[in-house]
Amino acid sequence: MSVIRTENLTKIYGAGEAVVIALDHVNLRVEAGEFVAVMGPSGCGKSTLLHLIGGLDRPTEGRVLLDGTDIATLSDDRVTELRRRKVGFVFQFYNLIPVLSAVENAALPLTLDGVKPEEARRRAIEWLSRLGLGDRLSNRPDQLSGGQQQRVAIARALVAEPAIILADEPTGNLDSRASDEIAGLLKRISEEWGRAVLMVTHDPRIAAYADRIIFLKDGKVVDETRLDGKGSDEAGRVRAKIEVL
Amino acid sequence: MSVRFAILGLLAQRPRHGYELRAAFEALVGGEENWDVKPAQIYTTLDRLEESGLVTEEAVEQEGGPEKRIYAITPAGRAELESWFATSVGSEHQRDEFFVKLMLSLAVDGANPYKVIQTQRAALYQRLHDVTLQRQRADPQTELAHILLLDKTVMHLEADLRWLDMVEARLDEVRRQPLPQPEVKPRGRPRRR
Repeated sequence: MSVIRTENLTKIYGAGEAVVIALDHVNLRVEAGEFVAVMGPSGCGKSTLLHLIGGLDRPTEGRVLLDGTDIATLSDDRVTELRRRKVGFVFQFYNLIPVLSAVENAALPLTLDGVKPEEARRRAIEWLSRLGLGDRLSNRPDQLSGGQQQRVAIARALVAEPAIILADEPTGNLDSRASDEIAGLLKRISEEWGRAVLMVTHDPRIAAYADRIIFLKDGKVVDETRLDGKGSDEAGRVRAKIEVL
Repeated sequence: MSVRFAILGLLAQRPRHGYELRAAFEALVGGEENWDVKPAQIYTTLDRLEESGLVTEEAVEQEGGPEKRIYAITPAGRAELESWFATSVGSEHQRDEFFVKLMLSLAVDGANPYKVIQTQRAALYQRLHDVTLQRQRADPQTELAHILLLDKTVMHLEADLRWLDMVEARLDEVRRQPLPQPEVKPRGRPRRR
């Protein structure tokens, strides 16, 4: 079963003469352990797609299924709950809380979900260490480089162990070296930790890290290309493992 | 470039035999899969360099196995190498098979230029993906030269992909213009007024 699935996903803004079709019957699937990039010119519907899949916005037509659950059948509260447990977001500008430390930022989703502080802290430290920030735990965002801040944001996205990571231009604010690091991490998150990663980007170099690229234009999928990597066996193993679990 | 200057450069480091030269060349250019040379090409080049007096056969080694000729660079060879270092290398960005293919796909009935672009784009992304993985695996402490070569490839592929997007966006515009035509040159003697 696909972790992310959309069926004829359509979003129309405005009415009458001023109607804008942001997304036009988009069908896509992302599997566990798969890293998919969405590319296209600005205004092609990339971000709308991510918002609909993440339940931040409701479609005009069509459906989004996360781990088999049709999010349109859920109340707003239930969507929020589902999003908190199944989806991790990574944004272009990190969206960290300036007065909180790396650990406190990364632990936030758990804290908000009522997990005990000790436990939240332990899990945040675990993810930050895996992402190479074990020695920056008590730094505040302004004491970290852009790449490090984005890694804190990725730890925050992963701390609730979601099946899905949605990344909106995650390297848009980073230099090329840090961009490569972050793209490499997103690849690991799918390959090693078996998450479904869907990333919107306009940067070909960053998209090239993915297993598959979907091209969007005027709200429609116009092309799709699968990249056969030497790492694809690894991804296959992770998928097999997850199915056993 | 011919393999000739690479051989001169490698021999300027120290004398070597043919097999060693081939291995050293392939390591230098980023592996056999990147730029392979046949042994025959190495030996033919060595023969020509020897004929021109740029390289000389220094010794023949034979330890039980087949004989190995050791080659060394001559002073004339060093001068040739120096003049190579002193000149620039041309680029062939404007001599582009894909460009020709795309333009003709606009002009030939039944050909689909959008499909031509898509096919090319998929291939470029696949290549970029492969190079990116290679680059990730390379160790910057010991393989910096190889990494820099991969970086160059990445940058060119990135440029090719961006150019493809640009062309795709303007395809209808370019279609409205005729293909570049040869200049009409008047035949015969120019007329005097």
